[in-house]
Amino acid sequence: MENSIQSVPQNWYLLLSTFMFCIGVMGVLLRRNAIIILMCIELMLNAVNLLLVSYSSYAGNAEGQVFVFFIMVVAAAEVAVGLALLVSIYRNVASTDIDILNRMKW
Amino acid sequence: MNVSVDYIAIFIQFLVGFGFVATTMVATHYLGPKRKTADKLASFECGIDSQGNARLPFSIKYFLTAILFVMFDVEVIFMYPWAVNFKELGSTGFIEMLLFIGTLLIGFAYIIKRGALKWE
Amino acid sequence: MGISQIIFYMLAAFTLLSALFVVFSKNPIYSVLWLILCFFSIAGHFVMLNAQFLAVVHIIVYSGAIMVLFLFTVMLLNLNSETEPHKPTLLKFAAVLSGGALFLIIIAAVRSTMPAPYVAPQLSEVGYVKNIGMKLYRDYTLPFEVASILFLSAMIGSVVLAKKERFN
Repeated sequence: MENSIQSVPQNWYLLLSTFMFCIGVMGVLLRRNAIIILMCIELMLNAVNLLLVSYSSYAGNAEGQVFVFFIMVVAAAEVAVGLALLVSIYRNVASTDIDILNRMKW
Repeated sequence: MNVSVDYIAIFIQFLVGFGFVATTMVATHYLGPKRKTADKLASFECGIDSQGNARLPFSIKYFLTAILFVMFDVEVIFMYPWAVNFKELGSTGFIEMLLFIGTLLIGFAYIIKRGALKWE
Repeated sequence: MGISQIIFYMLAAFTLLSALFVVFSKNPIYSVLWLILCFFSIAGHFVMLNAQFLAVVHIIVYSGAIMVLFLFTVMLLNLNSETEPHKPTLLKFAAVLSGGALFLIIIAAVRSTMPAPYVAPQLSEVGYVKNIGMKLYRDYTLPFEVASILFLSAMIGSVVLAKKERFN
């Protein structure tokens, strides 16, 4: 088993991660459950991760992978605070439906 | 640099793990005796019809522990590349890591002081 | 077609399918489980891209920690397909349409920047722990320390948010 950087053109990775990103965007627009929306944001972050890693290993440069490392760190912090927020919202309105959460709309 | 050899062990391990779970599930499905009645298949067998969903929401106490687990899990990830390069990085790397851990220790002290991990 | 190409196509199809199932599952728990599978397949892509360290980190952080937290939350709030809110059909259609339109626009924009004819690059060792660690601790010291402050704030924030009832 050789590595795919030697036999798969990089455009395929570009296409794959673009498609994944668009699925994430679609999910954010499509769903009303705030948890699913957070998950779709994770999906978008991972599309970007995949693209960064592919560029990094095609170019033979480690910096892209360091960036991915930091993206993972930020994602972990984001998820922790985001889910804590969601749970405290759920305690107040007993729902995670984003259409109910329009009280800051004034 | 031959990459193919490195993954055979992982692949075999994955296969064994997956195969064990799959065979156990299929085997228990076929080996055990099956005498199903409507009463046996009900969620509770105490004569009262069950209502609603079997999944009950569980306590918020677990939630904070899970959040803090995510934090410290990612923190430990930072130590792998540091530990591998420990000698090359020398004292600079050591001070960097001390600063990092020091900042996180402030957070840990706050968590302990606030009693976030206390299991009442 | 080499074996790595076959693996790539299978992994890519699996990634996209599981991502689609995340969006279209009715039950939030199924969405979480599909997302875990999606993340595993992305870790497989990382292995195929010769970024072994990141593949392992990806499994530990995403599948091991973040998705467990998501699953926890879904179970904590007792979400299931009966309580799942849905948008009206027209809005759903508009959402799918705009997602597809975004895809077409990005592809059209990227097409003009497609790189020169493909040459297979040399296998390098950039994905190894040693190289990433050297880069991280030599050149990216400041982001590393800032990450610790981010963690501190995230820790305090989540404790304050999730432990509100202790003050009274």
